[in-house]
Amino acid sequence: MLETTALTGHHDASNRQKRITQRMTITTDNEIRTGQWEDALTLVALNEDKLAYAELFKYFAPRLKAFGMKMFGNEQQAMEMVQDAMLNVWRKARLFDASRGCASTWIFTIARNVRFDMLRKKQSRKDDISADDLWFDGDYPEQESNSSEHWDTILMSEKLAPHFDALPPAQRMVMQKVYLEEKSHQEVSDELAIPLGTVKSRIRLALDRLREAFDDTRS
Amino acid sequence: MTHAVKFHPGLMLLEQYVEGSLSADVALAVSAHIDLCPHCQQLSHDITIDQAASLGEQNVSAHDEQQDWQQMVDFITSQPGLSAASVQRSNALPQVASVTVNGRTFEIPRALSRLAEKHNKWLQLGGIATAKLPTGEKQHVSLLYIDKGTEVPNHTHLGLEMTLVLAGKIVDENGEYGVGDLLINSPDDTHTPRTLADEDCLCLSVLSAPLKFNKGLTRLLNPLQQFFY
Ligand SMILES: [Zn+2]
Repeated sequence: MLETTALTGHHDASNRQKRITQRMTITTDNEIRTGQWEDALTLVALNEDKLAYAELFKYFAPRLKAFGMKMFGNEQQAMEMVQDAMLNVWRKARLFDASRGCASTWIFTIARNVRFDMLRKKQSRKDDISADDLWFDGDYPEQESNSSEHWDTILMSEKLAPHFDALPPAQRMVMQKVYLEEKSHQEVSDELAIPLGTVKSRIRLALDRLREAFDDTRS
Repeated sequence: MTHAVKFHPGLMLLEQYVEGSLSADVALAVSAHIDLCPHCQQLSHDITIDQAASLGEQNVSAHDEQQDWQQMVDFITSQPGLSAASVQRSNALPQVASVTVNGRTFEIPRALSRLAEKHNKWLQLGGIATAKLPTGEKQHVSLLYIDKGTEVPNHTHLGLEMTLVLAGKIVDENGEYGVGDLLINSPDDTHTPRTLADEDCLCLSVLSAPLKFNKGLTRLLNPLQQFFY
C-alpha cells in the first residue's frame, strides 16, 4: 500500500530546470506559479531588470516584513531587515543558481542571515560568530537517500494517528494527499501550487518527525 | 568516514537553527554537527525549503501589502549590482582548518574553521587541555582535548552543556560517542565522560549560561530527553 521508493525520486531538479528555461518571461498577474520568481531573478541578474525586480519586491517585501515582525517584534527593525535583504537580492542576483533551489528559499536564507547579523551588530564584537560561520552557502556532497527505510510498518500502525495530527499543517496536508489519498508527488505539487522539491522536503520532514515521536534515538 | 553519527540535535533544535532563532553559541555547535552529519545536512536542507515555502504561504496584512514601498524600491534599484569578479562563489567543499595539540593535528569542520584558527592558547590540566574560541566574552565556546585513558572530573554546570566529538571517541554512563555525535546535558545531568585507553579525543564544548537562553531554548529544556536523545 505504501510506496516508499517514491520518496527518493531523482527527477525533480532536471524537470524544474527544464521548466525554468522554457519560461523566461514573467507574467504580471497575481497567480503564483512555479518558476515565476526564478525567472524574475534571472532577468535581474542578466539585465538589472527593474521591472522584474519590482515584481519580486512586491511579492516578497511584505512577506519578509511579516517574518521580521515575528522575529523582532518591532516594525523599525523589521523594515531595516526587509531593506537589507531586498538590497542583497538586487545586488547578488547573479549568485542565485536555480539548479540549487527555489528563489523563495534563496531569499529566505538571505533574510535570515541579515537578521542574524543585525542582532550580532548590536553587540558589535569583532570576533563574534557570524552568519557565514553558521550557514554554509554551498552544497554538501550528495547523499544516498535511505531515510524512508522501515517506514511502512510504522505508518500503518494505529499508534500513528495522534502523531500524524500533531504534524505542522503544511506537512500534514502533503502527507494526507500522498498517503491517504494516494496521490503522486507531482499531483500534490500541482494541487497545492508548491514546487515538487517542497513536497518531497515536507514528506521527509514529516517522516522524520513521526520517527522522532516513535524512536528516541532517531538512528 | 566509517563512523555513523548516532546522536543528533532534535528536530525542534534544527528548526530553530534554520530559522536563526537559536543563540549563536548553540547554533555554532549545531552547525558543526551538520558539517559532520549527512543525515542532518538533508534534514536542515528540507527544513530550509519548508520554512521558505511557509514564508510565501503566510497571510500578509492588507496594510503591509498596500504600504508604499516605492521609495525603498527606488533606493535599491539605484544601487549598483555586484561586479562579476565579486560574485565568483565557491561551490567547492567546505574549507577545513586544523589545530595541533599534544603533538597531534586534527581537522576542524567548516563551521569552526574561522574561529579555530584564532583560538586562545591551550590550558592544560593533567590529560585535559582546553582552548577558548574568540566568540565573545559571555560565551564559553572552546576546544576540549582529552588524552587517551583520561577521565573528565565529575562536574556540574549551570546551563546547557553541549559537546560535539570532532575526532576520536568518548564514553560515559550513557554510551559511546564518535565523530559527529552531539551530547547535550542539562544542569541536572551528572556524567563522567572519559576516553578509552587507546584513543584520545577532540571535542567542541559549548556551555550556555542559563541567562543566555532565549525563549525557544527555554521551551526546549523542559522535555529535554524527548527531543535530544
Ligand atoms: Zn545529525
